Amino acid sequence: MSDAFPQLETIPIPVATATEEVSASRFGWFRDMPILVKLSTGWLFLVVFGAIYAKLDESVFGGALPLQDPNLQTNNFNAETGEFGTGEPLEGPSASHWLGTDAIARDTFARLVHGAWVSLIVASVSATFGVVVGGLVGSLVGFVRGRFETVAMAVIDVILAFPALVLLLALVSIFEVRSLGLISFVIGVLSIPAYTRVARANSLAISNREFVLAAQAIGTRRRQILFREIIPNVLPTLLAYAMVAAAFVVVVEGTLSFLGLSVQLPQSTWGNMINQARRDLKVDISQVVWPSLALTLTVLALNQVGDYFQRRGAVRQSSL
Amino acid sequence: MTERLDGRLARLLAALAAFALLVAACGGSSDDTDDAAPEDETEAAEAEEEAEDDDVAEAGEEAEGDVDTEIEESTGERVVGGEIAVGLEAELPGMRPWEDTCASSCYNIFVTIYDKLMESTETGEYEPWLLESITPNEDFTEWVGTLRSGVTFHNGVDLTAQSLVDMFAIQQTGSQSQSQIAASNLATVEATGDLEVTYGLSQPNSAFPAYLSRAQLGMVFEPGAAADGDAFNAAPVGTGPFVFESRDLDNETIVTKNADYWGTDSDGTQLPYLDKISFRPIPDEGTRLDATLSGTTQVAHTLRQNTIRDSRAERDGGAEITLFEFQGNNVGGGMFNVLVPPFDDIRVRKALVQLTPQDQVIEALGGTGISLPGTQWFSPDSPWYSEAAAAAWPQFDFEAGKALLEEYVNDPERSDGKAVGEKIEYELSCPPDPTLIAAMQVGFEVATSTELVDINLTNYDQQTHINYALGADNGFVGSHGAHCWRFSDDNDPSTSLNPAFAPPTAEIAAAAGIPDVVSPLNFANYFDGDIFQAAIGAIRTDNFDERYALYESISLKIAEDVPVWWSGHTATALITDDAVMGLVSWELPSGTLGQGMPNAEGRWHQVWLAG
Repeated sequence: MSDAFPQLETIPIPVATATEEVSASRFGWFRDMPILVKLSTGWLFLVVFGAIYAKLDESVFGGALPLQDPNLQTNNFNAETGEFGTGEPLEGPSASHWLGTDAIARDTFARLVHGAWVSLIVASVSATFGVVVGGLVGSLVGFVRGRFETVAMAVIDVILAFPALVLLLALVSIFEVRSLGLISFVIGVLSIPAYTRVARANSLAISNREFVLAAQAIGTRRRQILFREIIPNVLPTLLAYAMVAAAFVVVVEGTLSFLGLSVQLPQSTWGNMINQARRDLKVDISQVVWPSLALTLTVLALNQVGDYFQRRGAVRQSSL
Repeated sequence: MTERLDGRLARLLAALAAFALLVAACGGSSDDTDDAAPEDETEAAEAEEEAEDDDVAEAGEEAEGDVDTEIEESTGERVVGGEIAVGLEAELPGMRPWEDTCASSCYNIFVTIYDKLMESTETGEYEPWLLESITPNEDFTEWVGTLRSGVTFHNGVDLTAQSLVDMFAIQQTGSQSQSQIAASNLATVEATGDLEVTYGLSQPNSAFPAYLSRAQLGMVFEPGAAADGDAFNAAPVGTGPFVFESRDLDNETIVTKNADYWGTDSDGTQLPYLDKISFRPIPDEGTRLDATLSGTTQVAHTLRQNTIRDSRAERDGGAEITLFEFQGNNVGGGMFNVLVPPFDDIRVRKALVQLTPQDQVIEALGGTGISLPGTQWFSPDSPWYSEAAAAAWPQFDFEAGKALLEEYVNDPERSDGKAVGEKIEYELSCPPDPTLIAAMQVGFEVATSTELVDINLTNYDQQTHINYALGADNGFVGSHGAHCWRFSDDNDPSTSLNPAFAPPTAEIAAAAGIPDVVSPLNFANYFDGDIFQAAIGAIRTDNFDERYALYESISLKIAEDVPVWWSGHTATALITDDAVMGLVSWELPSGTLGQGMPNAEGRWHQVWLAG
């Protein structure tokens, strides 16, 4: 071994140094964050908390926070009271409706918070699909190369060549059921090619790094190299990319909702809130502004955080 | 027989596509529940009482809250010359009256290029336009018309009776005209003189002139030029007040003044007044209105209540615009597919209507103070409107609706085959328009609060929505459940109501003993022998009282069996720059005032720009 690769004796195998940095201060990484990234992280935390809270409010929190029923039409007939409500459509912000009401007198704040759940699930599922499947396939083909890579990447290129939104529209139209699970699954599957490309590119680069060559040279099994050298080094980039991709997915879901092809009504999503409010733009622009703002801030935040982690994740290391 | 029937169905199917596009889109909401069997004597008595209430409008009179702009003679000085741009809701599918679907946007363009044989007056009657006269025989199976003389097509060809005969040959091949030929019973067209044409009908039809006022049979095109359909589509030729100049698809269609037009105004001034009109399809409602507010266009066309609402606000805020509003028979709502469970059971249909808070639906549609609530095929200011039918239409009653649903749910013989106590499941579908999405959720909310129904709310694009209702692949039964739809128009009732309640499938027609009569236009698949007989009877007489009684009986039966539900009548408007004049004051050649701008269809030949 040493005869074949004499230089190995003088090349130190890189060892992780991040642990030492973190040990200096557990939250040092947070302190070092630019303010915009901190704000973005805060916003994302709010969105995630709001989404989870909205979903589990009744069952877990017992309605602890004053979040109204997002589907209650406050001017419609109420079976419990046996009377029509006195709410008004397109009401302005008030103590009872913090962000006003929509065209059928539903509380906009409640719908906005519940809408976050859809975005969260779709983004999470898509990222999971992308990182797990796309990451694995991309890392594998980048490392193995050869005919397998050619075939796999040809398939990926064909899928990527299709306009994603058109393909999504077609798939969602074929599956007429509008469940959150189905929408997430479809978007998740369509996310795989992009992750595969990112993972492959990184895998190709890492496969030529010294520590991988060294591992090969000392006769480490290929599977071991893949899982212990390649994938761990691809992962940080992939996770950072997932944040950016999640932003895109949130917008895609919003687009589907806007077109009436996302989850079934009356479930609120930011996209369908924008769609339903656009009719009354001239009367009350705020009903379009709130969900648009939530969507914009979330996408911006995901991009900021994603970029930040992408920069930080550009460390290559060996665990062998 | 089967082959004949299939061929007939195929033709009707093609026709249906056109009709469906006209009526689709919808405006309503939905459904459901509750209680107390409503058909007892007390309720009947209450219904009679209600019929006398003030809130039931009198037939033929302007109803409270109606938005119609009054039709009146204009005293303003006519100005010859100038040009305008008109923003339309949609682009035309094509320029051929016999082949291409023609709805409101299309009529705005078509009437500039093509003259109609008949035209409707302010009171809704039909008078000759390109014809000078038309007379039926005693049993309405033959109509003899005389064309006005000296009329030439835009390509210089003279208009003669033979032109109409040659047109008929083309119309018989056209997907749009075929349905109207069948519906009107038109069998032959003969030139019985240079300018005299004789229409022979296979069955009596006292309302035949109504068919001559619409695009499919009434708009006159040059048959020589139409022999090549594609070429004609690119360069249509009629006798109308404007000549086709150019068409940039989805962008602009331009027509220019026909200097040789036959028409003059009451002062003898050559029509049209305008030199040029540019029609621009602007699908987005807000953008279309903004275009007029900013002066990019001089007219905005709309079929939406909320746009009327926004326009009113702009006008009241000082914008220099005029609203020419119209609310006719066209009414939003939806239909139940009565051939599929659970809608084959009247209890479910009636319950769902009783659980639909109509005022809230109209509010969701943006029509509060604009749209009149629908109770029947006719609006309160129609001469065909029935107060008795209005009173008979089921009103919102949560307890009564819920009780009916409970009765069905607990019926061991329930038609949907589910176990006793199990929730009813159905699909409520509307096109993906924000207005309709809002409205459908109103009914959803009330119906689901009974905890007796599970509703799957769906939105499909308009063509899919139509196809589901059509059911071309399953004998026209359709795959719809509760389906948003629009009904009725301002033509003679026979043109839309009769085919809507004729036998929907070959099986039903055969069972009724009328195997040759099948109408794919019966989207609700609701057939009742008495209704059908009344509808046939109504085109065998021209006595208004007799016809009224027959249509009233139909309206009452519909109120009893509720194969459909209603939201509000469709308010439409042409929103114009203040300088645009003449939209409500145009006259027929006889000097009679025309119908104004029904369904936002302008008559542009007598429009001028104030100086």
